[in-house]
Amino acid sequence: MPTPLADAAINVGSVAAVSENAASSQPQPRRRRRWRAAGHLATIALPIALSLFVLVAWEFIVRVAKVPPAILPPPSAIFEQLTTHYALLLKHAVPTTLETLLAFGFSIPLGVFIAAVMTWSPVINKAVYPNVIFFQLIPKIALAPLFIVWLGIGLPSRTTFSIFISFFPILVATAAGLQSVPRDMLRLCRSVGASDWQVLVHVRFPTALPFLFSGMKVAVTLSIIGIVVGEFIASQRGLGYLILFASSRLQTDLSLACIAVLCAVGLGLYGLVVLSERVAMRWYGDR
Amino acid sequence: MSAAIDCRAVGKIYGNGRRTFEAVRAITFSVRGGEFVTLLGPSGCGKSTLLMLVGGLEEITVGTIELGGRPVVGPRSETGMIFQDPMLLPWKSAFDNVLFPIDMMRRPRARYTERAHELLAAMGLRDAAAKKPPQLSGGMRQRVAICRALVSDPEVMLMDEPFSALDAITRDELNVLMLDLFERYRKTALFVTHSIREAVLLSDRVLVMGGRPATLIDDVRIPFSRPRDFALTEAADFNAMCGHLREKITTARKLGHADAIG
Repeated sequence: MPTPLADAAINVGSVAAVSENAASSQPQPRRRRRWRAAGHLATIALPIALSLFVLVAWEFIVRVAKVPPAILPPPSAIFEQLTTHYALLLKHAVPTTLETLLAFGFSIPLGVFIAAVMTWSPVINKAVYPNVIFFQLIPKIALAPLFIVWLGIGLPSRTTFSIFISFFPILVATAAGLQSVPRDMLRLCRSVGASDWQVLVHVRFPTALPFLFSGMKVAVTLSIIGIVVGEFIASQRGLGYLILFASSRLQTDLSLACIAVLCAVGLGLYGLVVLSERVAMRWYGDR
Repeated sequence: MSAAIDCRAVGKIYGNGRRTFEAVRAITFSVRGGEFVTLLGPSGCGKSTLLMLVGGLEEITVGTIELGGRPVVGPRSETGMIFQDPMLLPWKSAFDNVLFPIDMMRRPRARYTERAHELLAAMGLRDAAAKKPPQLSGGMRQRVAICRALVSDPEVMLMDEPFSALDAITRDELNVLMLDLFERYRKTALFVTHSIREAVLLSDRVLVMGGRPATLIDDVRIPFSRPRDFALTEAADFNAMCGHLREKITTARKLGHADAIG
Protein backbone atom coordinates (compact mmCIF):
# COMPACT_ATOMS: atom_id res chain seq x y z
CA MET A 1 0.00 0.00 0.00
CA PRO A 2 2.70 2.62 0.82
CA THR A 3 4.60 4.02 -2.15
CA PRO A 4 8.22 3.07 -2.75
CA LEU A 5 9.29 6.53 -1.63
CA ALA A 6 7.64 6.28 1.76
CA ASP A 7 8.74 2.68 2.04
CA ALA A 8 12.32 3.69 1.57
CA ALA A 9 11.95 6.50 4.05
CA ILE A 10 10.41 4.21 6.62
CA ASN A 11 13.01 1.53 6.08
CA VAL A 12 15.83 4.01 6.53
CA GLY A 13 14.21 5.20 9.74
CA SER A 14 13.72 1.76 11.22
CA VAL A 15 17.17 0.53 10.26
CA ALA A 16 18.67 3.56 11.96
CA ALA A 17 16.54 2.93 15.05
CA VAL A 18 17.57 -0.71 15.19
CA SER A 19 21.27 0.00 14.88
CA GLU A 20 21.01 2.74 17.49
CA ASN A 21 19.30 0.30 19.78
CA ALA A 22 21.97 -2.31 19.28
CA ALA A 23 24.69 0.22 19.93
CA SER A 24 23.32 1.53 23.21
CA SER A 25 21.70 -1.43 24.89
CA GLN A 26 24.57 -3.88 25.37
CA PRO A 27 27.31 -3.12 27.84
CA GLN A 28 30.58 -4.14 26.22
CA PRO A 29 33.80 -5.42 27.76
CA ARG A 30 36.61 -2.89 27.57
CA ARG A 31 38.47 -4.38 24.64
CA ARG A 32 35.34 -4.63 22.58
CA ARG A 33 34.53 -1.06 23.49
CA ARG A 34 37.90 0.12 22.25
CA TRP A 35 37.25 -1.61 18.94
CA ARG A 36 33.89 0.03 18.85
CA ALA A 37 35.42 3.46 19.47
CA ALA A 38 37.78 2.84 16.56
CA GLY A 39 34.77 1.85 14.50
CA HIS A 40 33.01 5.10 15.41
CA LEU A 41 36.08 7.08 14.43
CA ALA A 42 36.15 5.29 11.10
CA THR A 43 32.50 6.06 10.39
CA ILE A 44 33.29 9.76 10.79
CA ALA A 45 36.83 9.83 9.40
CA LEU A 46 36.35 7.68 6.31
CA PRO A 47 33.68 9.79 4.56
CA ILE A 48 35.59 12.98 5.38
CA ALA A 49 38.82 11.47 4.05
CA LEU A 50 37.07 10.40 0.86
CA SER A 51 35.54 13.83 0.21
CA LEU A 52 38.90 15.53 0.91
CA PHE A 53 40.54 13.16 -1.54
CA VAL A 54 37.95 13.99 -4.21
CA LEU A 55 38.47 17.73 -3.64
CA VAL A 56 42.25 17.40 -3.92
CA ALA A 57 41.95 15.27 -7.05
CA TRP A 58 39.50 17.80 -8.52
CA GLU A 59 41.89 20.70 -7.81
CA PHE A 60 44.81 18.76 -9.27
CA ILE A 61 43.07 17.62 -12.45
CA VAL A 62 41.58 21.05 -13.20
CA ARG A 63 45.00 22.71 -12.83
CA VAL A 64 46.99 20.12 -14.76
CA ALA A 65 44.46 19.81 -17.60
CA LYS A 66 43.97 23.61 -17.64
CA VAL A 67 40.17 23.35 -17.65
CA PRO A 68 38.67 26.83 -18.27
CA PRO A 69 37.19 28.19 -14.98
CA ALA A 70 33.87 28.88 -16.73
CA ILE A 71 33.52 25.14 -17.34
CA LEU A 72 34.80 23.85 -14.03
CA PRO A 73 36.62 26.05 -11.52
CA PRO A 74 38.90 24.38 -8.94
CA PRO A 75 37.63 24.02 -5.35
CA SER A 76 40.04 26.74 -4.23
CA ALA A 77 38.30 29.25 -6.51
CA ILE A 78 34.91 28.26 -5.09
CA PHE A 79 36.27 28.66 -1.59
CA GLU A 80 37.58 32.09 -2.54
CA GLN A 81 34.10 33.07 -3.75
CA LEU A 82 32.68 31.88 -0.44
CA THR A 83 35.04 34.11 1.53
CA THR A 84 34.95 37.23 -0.65
CA HIS A 85 31.22 37.21 -1.42
CA TYR A 86 29.98 35.86 1.89
CA ALA A 87 27.79 38.93 2.47
CA LEU A 88 26.11 38.52 -0.91
CA LEU A 89 25.67 34.78 -0.39
CA LEU A 90 24.23 35.32 3.08
CA LYS A 91 21.83 37.95 1.76
CA HIS A 92 20.43 35.44 -0.71
CA ALA A 93 20.61 32.45 1.63
CA VAL A 94 18.30 34.07 4.19
CA PRO A 95 15.14 34.25 2.04
CA THR A 96 15.77 30.76 0.64
CA THR A 97 16.10 29.32 4.15
CA LEU A 98 13.11 31.18 5.56
CA GLU A 99 10.87 30.26 2.64
CA THR A 100 11.95 26.63 2.92
CA LEU A 101 11.11 26.63 6.61
CA LEU A 102 7.76 28.26 5.87
CA ALA A 103 6.89 25.67 3.23
CA PHE A 104 8.13 22.78 5.36
CA GLY A 105 6.23 24.15 8.34
CA PHE A 106 3.00 24.14 6.34
CA SER A 107 3.55 20.76 4.71
CA ILE A 108 3.73 18.96 8.08
CA PRO A 109 0.25 19.87 9.39
CA LEU A 110 -1.20 19.55 5.88
CA GLY A 111 0.19 16.02 5.38
CA VAL A 112 -0.74 14.93 8.91
CA PHE A 113 -4.24 16.36 8.60
CA ILE A 114 -5.03 14.58 5.34
CA ALA A 115 -3.53 11.34 6.71
CA ALA A 116 -5.73 11.66 9.82
CA VAL A 117 -8.86 12.24 7.73
CA MET A 118 -7.99 9.24 5.55
CA THR A 119 -7.53 7.08 8.63
CA TRP A 120 -10.72 8.34 10.23
CA SER A 121 -12.92 7.56 7.22
CA PRO A 122 -12.41 4.37 5.22
CA VAL A 123 -14.57 5.84 2.44
CA ILE A 124 -12.37 8.92 2.10
CA ASN A 125 -9.32 6.65 2.31
CA LYS A 126 -10.58 4.58 -0.60
CA ALA A 127 -11.39 7.67 -2.62
CA VAL A 128 -8.18 9.55 -1.88
CA TYR A 129 -5.44 6.93 -1.76
CA PRO A 130 -5.34 5.92 -5.45
CA ASN A 131 -5.32 9.60 -6.34
CA VAL A 132 -2.43 10.19 -3.97
CA ILE A 133 -0.48 7.46 -5.74
CA PHE A 134 -1.41 8.98 -9.10
CA PHE A 135 -0.24 12.41 -7.92
CA GLN A 136 3.06 10.89 -6.88
CA LEU A 137 3.61 9.83 -10.49
CA ILE A 138 3.26 13.36 -11.88
CA PRO A 139 6.67 14.93 -12.45
CA LYS A 140 5.68 17.76 -10.16
CA ILE A 141 8.56 20.03 -11.16
CA ALA A 142 6.87 20.30 -14.56
CA LEU A 143 3.96 22.02 -12.82
CA ALA A 144 6.13 24.80 -11.34
CA PRO A 145 5.47 27.34 -14.15
CA LEU A 146 1.73 26.85 -13.65
CA PHE A 147 2.02 27.98 -10.05
CA ILE A 148 3.49 31.24 -11.38
CA VAL A 149 0.47 31.55 -13.65
CA TRP A 150 -1.92 30.86 -10.80
CA LEU A 151 -0.29 32.73 -7.92
CA GLY A 152 2.00 35.31 -9.49
CA ILE A 153 5.76 35.67 -9.14
CA GLY A 154 5.97 36.34 -5.43
CA LEU A 155 6.50 34.35 -2.29
CA PRO A 156 3.06 32.70 -2.36
CA SER A 157 3.70 30.80 -5.59
CA ARG A 158 7.16 29.60 -4.49
CA THR A 159 6.04 28.41 -1.07
CA THR A 160 2.83 26.86 -2.40
CA PHE A 161 4.79 24.94 -5.00
CA SER A 162 7.25 23.82 -2.35
CA ILE A 163 4.43 22.68 -0.05
CA PHE A 164 2.87 20.92 -3.01
CA ILE A 165 5.90 18.74 -3.58
CA SER A 166 6.95 18.25 0.05
CA PHE A 167 3.71 17.26 1.80
CA PHE A 168 3.37 13.94 -0.05
CA PRO A 169 6.03 12.01 1.82
CA ILE A 170 4.60 13.31 5.10
CA LEU A 171 1.09 12.30 4.11
CA VAL A 172 2.08 8.83 2.96
CA ALA A 173 4.37 8.10 5.92
CA THR A 174 1.89 9.41 8.49
CA ALA A 175 -1.02 7.50 6.94
CA ALA A 176 1.07 4.30 7.08
CA GLY A 177 1.91 5.06 10.71
CA LEU A 178 -1.64 5.85 11.78
CA GLN A 179 -2.83 2.64 10.18
CA SER A 180 -0.06 0.50 11.66
CA VAL A 181 -1.84 0.17 15.03
CA PRO A 182 -2.45 -3.59 15.55
CA ARG A 183 -6.00 -4.89 15.39
CA ASP A 184 -5.94 -6.14 18.98
CA MET A 185 -4.84 -2.70 20.20
CA LEU A 186 -7.87 -1.20 18.47
CA ARG A 187 -10.05 -3.90 20.03
CA LEU A 188 -8.64 -3.09 23.44
CA CYS A 189 -9.45 0.59 22.90
CA ARG A 190 -13.01 -0.24 21.88
CA SER A 191 -13.46 -2.58 24.83
CA VAL A 192 -12.61 0.23 27.25
CA GLY A 193 -15.01 2.55 25.44
CA ALA A 194 -12.46 4.81 23.74
CA SER A 195 -13.93 7.11 21.06
CA ASP A 196 -12.40 7.38 17.57
CA TRP A 197 -10.98 10.74 18.59
CA GLN A 198 -9.38 9.29 21.74
CA VAL A 199 -7.86 6.46 19.72
CA LEU A 200 -6.49 8.97 17.22
CA VAL A 201 -4.97 11.24 19.85
CA HIS A 202 -3.81 8.73 22.45
CA VAL A 203 -2.86 5.72 20.33
CA ARG A 204 -2.62 6.39 16.60
CA PHE A 205 -0.70 9.67 16.64
CA PRO A 206 2.01 8.53 19.05
CA THR A 207 2.33 5.26 17.11
CA ALA A 208 2.72 7.23 13.88
CA LEU A 209 5.39 9.54 15.28
CA PRO A 210 8.45 7.56 14.09
CA PHE A 211 6.82 7.27 10.65
CA LEU A 212 6.16 11.02 10.61
CA PHE A 213 9.84 11.74 11.22
CA SER A 214 10.85 9.44 8.36
CA GLY A 215 8.47 11.39 6.14
CA MET A 216 9.83 14.71 7.42
CA LYS A 217 13.40 13.74 6.50
CA VAL A 218 12.34 13.25 2.89
CA ALA A 219 10.06 16.31 2.94
CA VAL A 220 12.64 18.78 4.20
CA THR A 221 14.94 18.17 1.23
CA LEU A 222 11.98 18.41 -1.14
CA SER A 223 10.99 21.76 0.40
CA ILE A 224 14.40 23.17 -0.50
CA ILE A 225 14.13 21.82 -4.03
CA GLY A 226 10.68 23.42 -4.33
CA ILE A 227 11.88 26.83 -3.21
CA VAL A 228 15.01 26.78 -5.41
CA VAL A 229 12.98 25.74 -8.46
CA GLY A 230 10.58 28.58 -7.67
CA GLU A 231 13.50 30.98 -7.49
CA PHE A 232 14.81 29.70 -10.83
CA ILE A 233 11.55 30.52 -12.53
CA ALA A 234 10.66 33.88 -11.08
CA SER A 235 12.52 35.68 -8.35
CA GLN A 236 14.84 38.59 -7.72
CA ARG A 237 16.46 37.05 -4.68
CA GLY A 238 17.40 33.76 -3.13
CA LEU A 239 20.16 31.29 -3.87
CA GLY A 240 18.25 29.85 -6.83
CA TYR A 241 18.12 33.29 -8.40
CA LEU A 242 21.83 33.87 -7.67
CA ILE A 243 22.80 30.53 -9.24
CA LEU A 244 20.93 31.43 -12.41
CA PHE A 245 22.35 34.95 -12.44
CA ALA A 246 25.94 33.74 -11.94
CA SER A 247 25.60 31.01 -14.56
CA SER A 248 24.28 33.46 -17.14
CA ARG A 249 27.49 35.48 -16.66
CA LEU A 250 29.63 32.34 -16.75
CA GLN A 251 30.63 32.91 -13.12
CA THR A 252 30.66 29.19 -12.51
CA ASP A 253 32.71 29.57 -9.32
CA LEU A 254 29.98 31.76 -7.80
CA SER A 255 27.27 29.30 -8.91
CA LEU A 256 29.11 26.48 -7.19
CA ALA A 257 29.64 28.61 -4.10
CA CYS A 258 25.84 29.09 -4.00
CA ILE A 259 25.39 25.35 -4.23
CA ALA A 260 27.84 24.86 -1.37
CA VAL A 261 25.78 27.27 0.75
CA LEU A 262 22.61 25.45 -0.32
CA CYS A 263 24.16 22.20 0.85
CA ALA A 264 24.96 23.77 4.21
CA VAL A 265 21.39 25.05 4.54
CA GLY A 266 20.00 21.64 3.63
CA LEU A 267 22.30 19.89 6.07
CA GLY A 268 21.28 22.33 8.81
CA LEU A 269 17.56 21.80 8.24
CA TYR A 270 17.98 18.04 8.02
CA GLY A 271 19.95 18.17 11.26
CA LEU A 272 17.08 20.07 12.85
CA VAL A 273 14.69 17.26 11.93
CA VAL A 274 17.08 14.60 13.23
CA LEU A 275 17.52 16.54 16.46
CA SER A 276 13.79 16.87 17.07
CA GLU A 277 13.43 13.18 16.24
CA ARG A 278 16.00 12.32 18.92
CA VAL A 279 14.10 14.39 21.48
CA ALA A 280 10.77 12.83 20.53
CA MET A 281 12.16 9.29 20.52
CA ARG A 282 13.62 9.76 23.99
CA TRP A 283 10.10 10.46 25.20
CA TYR A 284 8.73 7.67 23.05
CA GLY A 285 10.55 4.59 24.24
CA ASP A 286 13.19 5.75 26.71
CA ARG A 287 15.62 3.51 24.85
CA MET B 1 -29.40 -15.26 39.91
CA SER B 2 -28.76 -15.27 36.19
CA ALA B 3 -25.53 -16.53 34.66
CA ALA B 4 -22.62 -14.12 34.22
CA ILE B 5 -22.22 -15.14 30.58
CA ASP B 6 -25.02 -16.78 28.65
CA CYS B 7 -24.63 -17.79 25.00
CA ARG B 8 -27.65 -19.17 23.20
CA ALA B 9 -27.40 -20.75 19.74
CA VAL B 10 -24.68 -18.31 18.75
CA GLY B 11 -23.35 -18.34 15.21
CA LYS B 12 -20.99 -16.07 13.30
CA ILE B 13 -20.80 -15.79 9.53
CA TYR B 14 -18.24 -13.46 7.97
CA GLY B 15 -18.83 -11.72 4.68
CA ASN B 16 -22.05 -11.57 2.71
CA GLY B 17 -23.39 -12.62 -0.66
CA ARG B 18 -21.69 -15.61 -2.23
CA ARG B 19 -18.36 -15.42 -0.43
CA THR B 20 -19.14 -16.22 3.16
CA PHE B 21 -17.26 -18.00 5.90
CA GLU B 22 -19.06 -19.57 8.83
CA ALA B 23 -16.70 -19.39 11.80
CA VAL B 24 -18.85 -20.75 14.63
CA ARG B 25 -22.25 -22.43 14.68
CA ALA B 26 -24.91 -23.14 17.29
CA ILE B 27 -22.83 -22.43 20.37
CA THR B 28 -24.77 -22.69 23.61
CA PHE B 29 -23.20 -22.47 27.04
CA SER B 30 -23.32 -20.40 30.17
CA VAL B 31 -20.76 -19.37 32.76
CA ARG B 32 -21.67 -18.80 36.38
CA GLY B 33 -20.37 -15.77 38.28
CA GLY B 34 -16.85 -16.42 39.58
CA GLU B 35 -16.36 -19.44 37.35
CA PHE B 36 -13.19 -19.93 35.27
CA VAL B 37 -14.13 -21.44 31.92
CA THR B 38 -11.71 -22.25 29.11
CA LEU B 39 -12.42 -22.55 25.40
CA LEU B 40 -10.01 -25.22 24.19
CA GLY B 41 -9.33 -26.23 20.63
CA PRO B 42 -6.79 -26.25 17.82
CA SER B 43 -5.58 -22.96 16.30
CA GLY B 44 -8.00 -21.24 13.97
CA CYS B 45 -11.02 -23.17 15.22
CA GLY B 46 -13.08 -20.09 16.10
CA LYS B 47 -12.34 -19.86 19.83
CA SER B 48 -11.10 -16.31 19.53
CA THR B 49 -14.06 -15.37 17.34
CA LEU B 50 -16.40 -16.58 20.06
CA LEU B 51 -14.47 -14.59 22.67
CA MET B 52 -14.73 -11.44 20.53
CA LEU B 53 -18.48 -12.02 20.21
CA VAL B 54 -18.79 -12.21 24.01
CA GLY B 55 -16.70 -9.05 24.32
CA GLY B 56 -19.02 -7.22 21.92
CA LEU B 57 -16.12 -6.61 19.51
CA GLU B 58 -17.66 -8.55 16.63
CA GLU B 59 -21.26 -8.57 15.54
CA ILE B 60 -23.26 -11.69 16.34
CA THR B 61 -24.88 -13.18 13.21
CA VAL B 62 -27.40 -15.49 14.90
CA GLY B 63 -28.36 -16.20 18.49
CA THR B 64 -27.91 -14.07 21.59
CA ILE B 65 -25.22 -13.49 24.17
CA GLU B 66 -26.03 -12.02 27.56
CA LEU B 67 -23.60 -10.56 30.04
CA GLY B 68 -25.06 -10.19 33.53
CA GLY B 69 -28.55 -10.68 32.12
CA ARG B 70 -28.28 -7.93 29.48
CA PRO B 71 -27.77 -8.74 25.78
CA VAL B 72 -24.40 -7.85 24.29
CA VAL B 73 -24.68 -5.29 21.50
CA GLY B 74 -21.26 -3.68 21.77
CA PRO B 75 -18.21 -3.42 24.04
CA ARG B 76 -19.13 -3.15 27.71
CA SER B 77 -17.20 -1.60 30.55
CA GLU B 78 -17.67 -4.64 32.80
CA THR B 79 -15.32 -6.73 30.66
CA GLY B 80 -11.54 -6.71 30.93
CA MET B 81 -9.60 -7.99 27.92
CA ILE B 82 -6.19 -9.61 27.62
CA PHE B 83 -4.72 -10.48 24.23
CA GLN B 84 -1.93 -12.73 23.02
CA ASP B 85 0.38 -9.73 22.68
CA PRO B 86 0.40 -7.36 25.65
CA MET B 87 -0.54 -4.37 23.46
CA LEU B 88 1.15 -1.88 25.73
CA LEU B 89 1.84 1.66 24.58
CA PRO B 90 5.66 1.86 24.44
CA TRP B 91 5.79 5.57 25.28
CA LYS B 92 3.87 5.17 28.54
CA SER B 93 5.27 3.79 31.79
CA ALA B 94 3.94 0.47 33.10
CA PHE B 95 1.90 2.44 35.64
CA ASP B 96 0.37 4.71 32.98
CA ASN B 97 -0.36 1.69 30.80
CA VAL B 98 -2.28 0.11 33.68
CA LEU B 99 -4.36 3.29 33.99
CA PHE B 100 -4.99 3.51 30.23
CA PRO B 101 -8.59 2.16 30.49
CA ILE B 102 -9.34 4.66 33.25
CA ASP B 103 -8.06 7.52 31.09
CA MET B 104 -10.14 6.32 28.13
CA MET B 105 -13.25 5.98 30.30
CA ARG B 106 -12.62 9.57 31.45
CA ARG B 107 -12.80 8.49 35.06
CA PRO B 108 -10.80 10.35 37.71
CA ARG B 109 -7.32 8.85 37.90
CA ALA B 110 -6.96 9.61 41.59
CA ARG B 111 -9.58 7.03 42.49
CA TYR B 112 -7.61 4.27 40.78
CA THR B 113 -3.95 5.04 41.49
CA GLU B 114 -3.97 3.05 44.70
CA ARG B 115 -5.53 0.05 42.97
CA ALA B 116 -3.04 0.30 40.11
CA HIS B 117 -0.14 0.22 42.57
CA GLU B 118 -1.72 -2.67 44.46
CA LEU B 119 -2.19 -4.68 41.25
CA LEU B 120 1.37 -4.03 40.10
CA ALA B 121 2.64 -5.15 43.49
CA ALA B 122 0.48 -8.29 43.38
CA MET B 123 2.04 -9.13 40.02
CA GLY B 124 5.57 -8.59 41.35
CA LEU B 125 6.01 -5.38 39.39
CA ARG B 126 6.41 -2.90 42.25
CA ASP B 127 9.82 -1.78 41.01
CA ALA B 128 8.82 -1.73 37.36
CA ALA B 129 5.97 0.78 37.69
CA ALA B 130 7.96 3.68 36.27
CA LYS B 131 9.64 1.66 33.53
CA LYS B 132 8.52 1.70 29.92
CA PRO B 133 7.58 -1.49 28.05
CA PRO B 134 10.78 -1.72 25.97
CA GLN B 135 12.68 -2.07 29.26
CA LEU B 136 10.52 -4.98 30.44
CA SER B 137 10.72 -8.68 29.57
CA GLY B 138 7.94 -10.41 27.66
CA GLY B 139 6.50 -11.97 30.80
CA MET B 140 6.57 -8.65 32.67
CA ARG B 141 4.78 -6.93 29.79
CA GLN B 142 2.01 -9.50 29.84
CA ARG B 143 1.70 -9.05 33.62
CA VAL B 144 1.27 -5.30 33.06
CA ALA B 145 -1.48 -6.15 30.56
CA ILE B 146 -3.20 -8.29 33.20
CA CYS B 147 -3.07 -5.39 35.68
CA ARG B 148 -4.55 -3.14 33.00
CA ALA B 149 -7.43 -5.56 32.45
CA LEU B 150 -8.15 -5.64 36.19
CA VAL B 151 -7.75 -1.95 37.01
CA SER B 152 -11.35 -0.90 36.45
CA ASP B 153 -12.50 -3.94 38.48
CA PRO B 154 -14.49 -5.57 35.65
CA GLU B 155 -16.76 -8.49 36.46
CA VAL B 156 -15.76 -10.59 33.47
CA MET B 157 -12.24 -11.30 32.22
CA LEU B 158 -11.89 -12.26 28.56
CA MET B 159 -8.49 -13.71 27.73
CA ASP B 160 -7.41 -14.56 24.18
CA GLU B 161 -4.45 -16.95 24.40
CA PRO B 162 -2.68 -14.58 26.77
CA PHE B 163 0.36 -16.78 27.38
CA SER B 164 0.90 -18.47 24.03
CA ALA B 165 3.54 -15.99 22.85
CA LEU B 166 5.69 -16.61 25.93
CA ASP B 167 8.45 -19.18 26.45
CA ALA B 168 7.49 -22.34 28.33
CA ILE B 169 9.13 -21.37 31.63
CA THR B 170 7.58 -17.89 31.73
CA ARG B 171 4.30 -19.42 30.73
CA ASP B 172 4.31 -21.80 33.72
CA GLU B 173 5.19 -18.86 35.94
CA LEU B 174 2.27 -16.82 34.69
CA ASN B 175 -0.09 -19.78 35.02
CA VAL B 176 0.73 -19.96 38.72
CA LEU B 177 0.30 -16.20 39.00
CA MET B 178 -3.07 -16.51 37.29
CA LEU B 179 -4.16 -19.10 39.88
CA ASP B 180 -3.16 -16.74 42.71
CA LEU B 181 -4.91 -13.82 41.07
CA PHE B 182 -8.06 -15.85 40.64
CA GLU B 183 -8.03 -16.69 44.34
CA ARG B 184 -7.49 -13.07 45.27
CA TYR B 185 -9.87 -11.25 42.90
CA ARG B 186 -12.24 -14.06 41.84
CA LYS B 187 -13.62 -12.87 38.51
CA THR B 188 -15.79 -14.64 36.00
CA ALA B 189 -13.25 -15.71 33.42
CA LEU B 190 -13.49 -16.86 29.83
CA PHE B 191 -10.08 -18.04 28.71
CA VAL B 192 -8.98 -19.15 25.25
CA THR B 193 -6.04 -21.51 24.79
CA HIS B 194 -4.79 -24.37 22.68
CA SER B 195 -2.74 -25.77 25.57
CA ILE B 196 -4.52 -28.70 27.21
CA ARG B 197 -2.39 -28.57 30.37
CA GLU B 198 -2.99 -24.85 30.80
CA ALA B 199 -6.71 -25.39 30.38
CA VAL B 200 -6.84 -28.16 33.01
CA LEU B 201 -4.63 -26.30 35.48
CA LEU B 202 -6.59 -23.06 35.40
CA SER B 203 -10.21 -23.94 34.75
CA ASP B 204 -13.33 -25.04 36.56
CA ARG B 205 -14.74 -26.14 33.21
CA VAL B 206 -13.26 -26.75 29.80
CA LEU B 207 -15.36 -26.30 26.66
CA VAL B 208 -13.80 -28.28 23.82
CA MET B 209 -14.31 -26.70 20.40
CA GLY B 210 -13.62 -28.06 16.95
CA GLY B 211 -14.88 -28.71 13.46
CA ARG B 212 -15.62 -26.39 10.58
CA PRO B 213 -17.66 -24.35 11.37
CA ALA B 214 -16.66 -24.71 15.00
CA THR B 215 -19.13 -26.14 17.45
CA LEU B 216 -18.95 -27.11 21.09
CA ILE B 217 -17.86 -30.73 21.25
CA ASP B 218 -17.77 -31.25 24.95
CA ASP B 219 -18.21 -29.54 28.28
CA VAL B 220 -15.81 -31.05 30.82
CA ARG B 221 -15.85 -30.20 34.52
CA ILE B 222 -12.36 -30.04 36.09
CA PRO B 223 -12.86 -31.44 39.59
CA PHE B 224 -9.60 -30.37 41.29
CA SER B 225 -10.13 -28.29 44.41
CA ARG B 226 -8.88 -24.74 44.81
CA PRO B 227 -6.53 -23.21 45.75
CA ARG B 228 -4.37 -25.05 43.25
CA ASP B 229 -0.66 -24.84 42.68
CA PHE B 230 1.77 -26.04 40.07
CA ALA B 231 2.36 -29.34 41.88
CA LEU B 232 -1.05 -30.35 40.56
CA THR B 233 0.48 -30.83 37.11
CA GLU B 234 2.50 -33.78 38.47
CA ALA B 235 -0.56 -35.59 39.76
CA ALA B 236 -1.76 -38.75 38.00
CA ASP B 237 -5.43 -37.67 37.78
CA PHE B 238 -4.31 -34.33 36.31
CA ASN B 239 -2.53 -36.14 33.51
CA ALA B 240 -5.45 -38.51 33.09
CA MET B 241 -7.70 -35.48 32.64
CA CYS B 242 -5.31 -34.04 30.04
CA GLY B 243 -5.32 -37.37 28.23
CA HIS B 244 -9.10 -37.45 28.24
CA LEU B 245 -9.30 -33.96 26.70
CA ARG B 246 -6.63 -34.78 24.14
CA GLU B 247 -8.67 -37.75 23.01
CA LYS B 248 -11.79 -35.56 22.64
CA ILE B 249 -9.88 -33.10 20.47
CA THR B 250 -8.33 -35.82 18.32
CA THR B 251 -11.68 -37.47 17.67
CA ALA B 252 -13.22 -34.13 16.85
CA ARG B 253 -10.41 -33.44 14.40
CA LYS B 254 -10.92 -36.73 12.64
CA LEU B 255 -14.63 -36.05 12.37
CA GLY B 256 -13.96 -32.53 11.13
CA HIS B 257 -11.58 -33.94 8.54
CA ALA B 258 -14.15 -36.46 7.38
CA ASP B 259 -16.64 -33.59 7.10
CA ALA B 260 -14.25 -31.64 4.92
CA ILE B 261 -13.76 -34.56 2.56
CA GLY B 262 -17.42 -35.48 2.45
